[in-house]
Amino acid sequence: MSLLPAPLAPTRPAFLTRTTPVARLVAGTTWLVASIVTIDPVVPVRLTLAAIVALWLWSGLPLRRIPGRLAPLGFAILSLTAFSILLSSANGDRSLATLVQIGPARITGPAISTGIAVGLRVVVIGLTTLLVFGPSDPTRMADSLVQQWRVPDRFAYGTLAALRVAPFMAGDWATIGAARRIRGLSPRGPVERVREAGGRLLVMLVSAIRRAERLALAMDARGFDSGVRRTHFRELRTGWRDWLTIAVAIAVAACALFVAR
Amino acid sequence: MTEAAAGGPRTVAVGPPSVEAADLGWTYAGRSRPAIEGLTFRLQAGHVLLVLGPSGSGKSTLARALAGLVPNVLPGRWQGSLRVGGLEVSETPARLLGERIGLVFQDPDSQLVMTRVDDEVAFGLENRGWPRARMVSGVPAALAQVGLAGFEARSTVTLSGGEKQRLAIADVLAARPGMLILDEPTANLDPPGMHAIFEQLAALARRREHTIVLIEHRLEAALPLADDVLLIGDEGRQLAFAPAGDVGRDAIGLLDRSGAWVPRAWQVTRQAGGPAVGAIEPVEPAVGAAVEPVAGAAAYERRAAGGGALLLEASDVRVEYGADDGGKRIALDGVSVSLRAGERVALVGPNGAGKSSLLFALAGLLRPAAGTVRLRALPPNGQPAEPLRDPSRLSSNEIAARIGIVFQDPELGFVAGTSRDEVSATARAMGRRRGATTGQAEDVEADRVLSRFGLGRLALEIPFRLSQGEQRRLSLAALALRPPAVLLLDEPTFGLDRRGTEAVLALLDDRRDLLQAQVLATHDPRLLPACDRVVALDRGRVVFDGRPEAFLAAPPYEPPGPWRDGIVGGPPVESRPGAR
Repeated sequence: MSLLPAPLAPTRPAFLTRTTPVARLVAGTTWLVASIVTIDPVVPVRLTLAAIVALWLWSGLPLRRIPGRLAPLGFAILSLTAFSILLSSANGDRSLATLVQIGPARITGPAISTGIAVGLRVVVIGLTTLLVFGPSDPTRMADSLVQQWRVPDRFAYGTLAALRVAPFMAGDWATIGAARRIRGLSPRGPVERVREAGGRLLVMLVSAIRRAERLALAMDARGFDSGVRRTHFRELRTGWRDWLTIAVAIAVAACALFVAR
Repeated sequence: MTEAAAGGPRTVAVGPPSVEAADLGWTYAGRSRPAIEGLTFRLQAGHVLLVLGPSGSGKSTLARALAGLVPNVLPGRWQGSLRVGGLEVSETPARLLGERIGLVFQDPDSQLVMTRVDDEVAFGLENRGWPRARMVSGVPAALAQVGLAGFEARSTVTLSGGEKQRLAIADVLAARPGMLILDEPTANLDPPGMHAIFEQLAALARRREHTIVLIEHRLEAALPLADDVLLIGDEGRQLAFAPAGDVGRDAIGLLDRSGAWVPRAWQVTRQAGGPAVGAIEPVEPAVGAAVEPVAGAAAYERRAAGGGALLLEASDVRVEYGADDGGKRIALDGVSVSLRAGERVALVGPNGAGKSSLLFALAGLLRPAAGTVRLRALPPNGQPAEPLRDPSRLSSNEIAARIGIVFQDPELGFVAGTSRDEVSATARAMGRRRGATTGQAEDVEADRVLSRFGLGRLALEIPFRLSQGEQRRLSLAALALRPPAVLLLDEPTFGLDRRGTEAVLALLDDRRDLLQAQVLATHDPRLLPACDRVVALDRGRVVFDGRPEAFLAAPPYEPPGPWRDGIVGGPPVESRPGAR
């Protein structure tokens, strides 16, 4: 009875599934930086197009499921765009022509363009995250961080184990709510609702700590962090695909920023 | 012993180690009483030791000590001596012990670390610094050894409970330990999963390549594997250590009285007459005695008067979830069940058959994609019954009077800071909504309920700090002031010893005498004879609905063996006869 959306995993081998996760992390970062250093909407438009092409051709991810996966971002994108348009300082500039007048609110052309730029930035962040994390599972990310960037085992694999138990916490949350409803303790009104959420969180925290303690003990029993130098079942090395990915990503980011309209 | 003498503690010894405990004791930091005390036994290399004892007797602590987690990882006070393969555990670094010992825990979901099966097996080998080439050959070999060949690329989330537990065994076998410690490895499993684990253990025991310490409450399956038995009583004190076939009657009597499950093979002494029985006192259910008994005749009269009224009816229920591939997974399909006043129904089926989904649907906690669930309160004496209503449309207040759930993990249902408030929470909420003043009256009532449930001393204790058995009883007590017409229980005896199981059943018997209808989702076939009916699910469909004897005579599963032979670890628990 999983409440979390099913993980998005590659359904076929593709160029990016053969790159190492840290290489994709570097490549993705260049796009995120490029999308936030300017308010010109043409940059996120170009990056969005590039990301769609990359997802389609090289990610190996099932395209049909991507819109569904990004749907939770939809609200953030729409509200950010709307607020940026309404609150833009350009609306106060009397030298600009009024495009729309809603009651006292006056909206100008530049305000709309800035708003769209802000909304599209979120789109770029969403798509780039999929390109970075989608082509391999979180285990490979941990392997890659440990082997290529020398991130401490304890941090990388501890986080990984925590990720693995996250779905159970979603189940616990539902069960806790169900238990309260069935005992006649469903909250009524905002004050009760807030207090009830606090109580639910506390129970979930206790349950999560118990689970974490058991998992930590099981990891200790299998020799984790016992002072022996860890070896690696899956060896990850930076290869030509990684360098190519980073180079292409930088080139695309540069084009998006500097090629004139 | 000789191993240590031959090469000193630095040598990685080959082969199974012997175990010697002398007056072994351990007190966890912050506790006043020791978890185990005075354990003295000697296990030969390659032998199988079965550890028996009631809940809270320190069996898991012994497992942790043997694996070196106590005292190397967990804080506390160590007493006496424990030597594994000649190495004194308290003086040996965890790393050296870890190379020789593999520990398998009860809960499959909190011991698997990785998401892919082959990564999972390799995890322990990576930690021990194995060269990659050895891992590449060792991982598939370990998987093949537990019957999981070809599972390398599978996600651990998609495995059944039995497969997860076999994977956990593969994890430790891969590191080639001389000793295996298994702490209730089948407790979370359905009968087929349990069967597979025991076949695995039997194969390991036959090969004599490992010294095995097995903590297990499915005794009929575990006892034949054992060479020696260690009986631990209340408060972690040793009752006996003896060869499995030659445990003294006195020791069995002591174990029985401590409230642990006792193998049926041994219970001849408990049931048959003869001089030996005189030495063994009859079992006193610790809580059952404290329960006010409903006079038998009166109970039957009440049942005759009101029994048989339809309380809950589900017809053609279909429940679906989103699946990994973005499609739909059908959890329940065309399920029809009815439940009458005073009736106790066992809900059985393999993991994933839809038992939890059905409980949630019956309580209106999830709305079926198709079909209907209808529910009503117990009709008051001589008055007409209220109409059947959809529980998912009832208010939280209305539903509390009609249906209750006890979850497998009672902690998730707790809402209050003390046991007393836990019991009075529902009554208080209802009183507040009616505008009544609340106060001491509820406290008095709650304390009366607590003492009836054997929790009188714990009225001011934090519910999270109670033992597993106490938590289960508290979750039942929380439903006592406003008893629902229908009670749903998810694995109500999970993790309980015989004493705890009998206590829970005695409390349920009392409620049933007052015409409560009960549904017990359970993997424990020992409970079936205490039920009036069995409803069996398989892949979301009802495959059997009838008397428990009929179910046990011909279980509707393929293969039926694990379900039929499932009554392990003692006779069916005692319970008063039901309504029908």
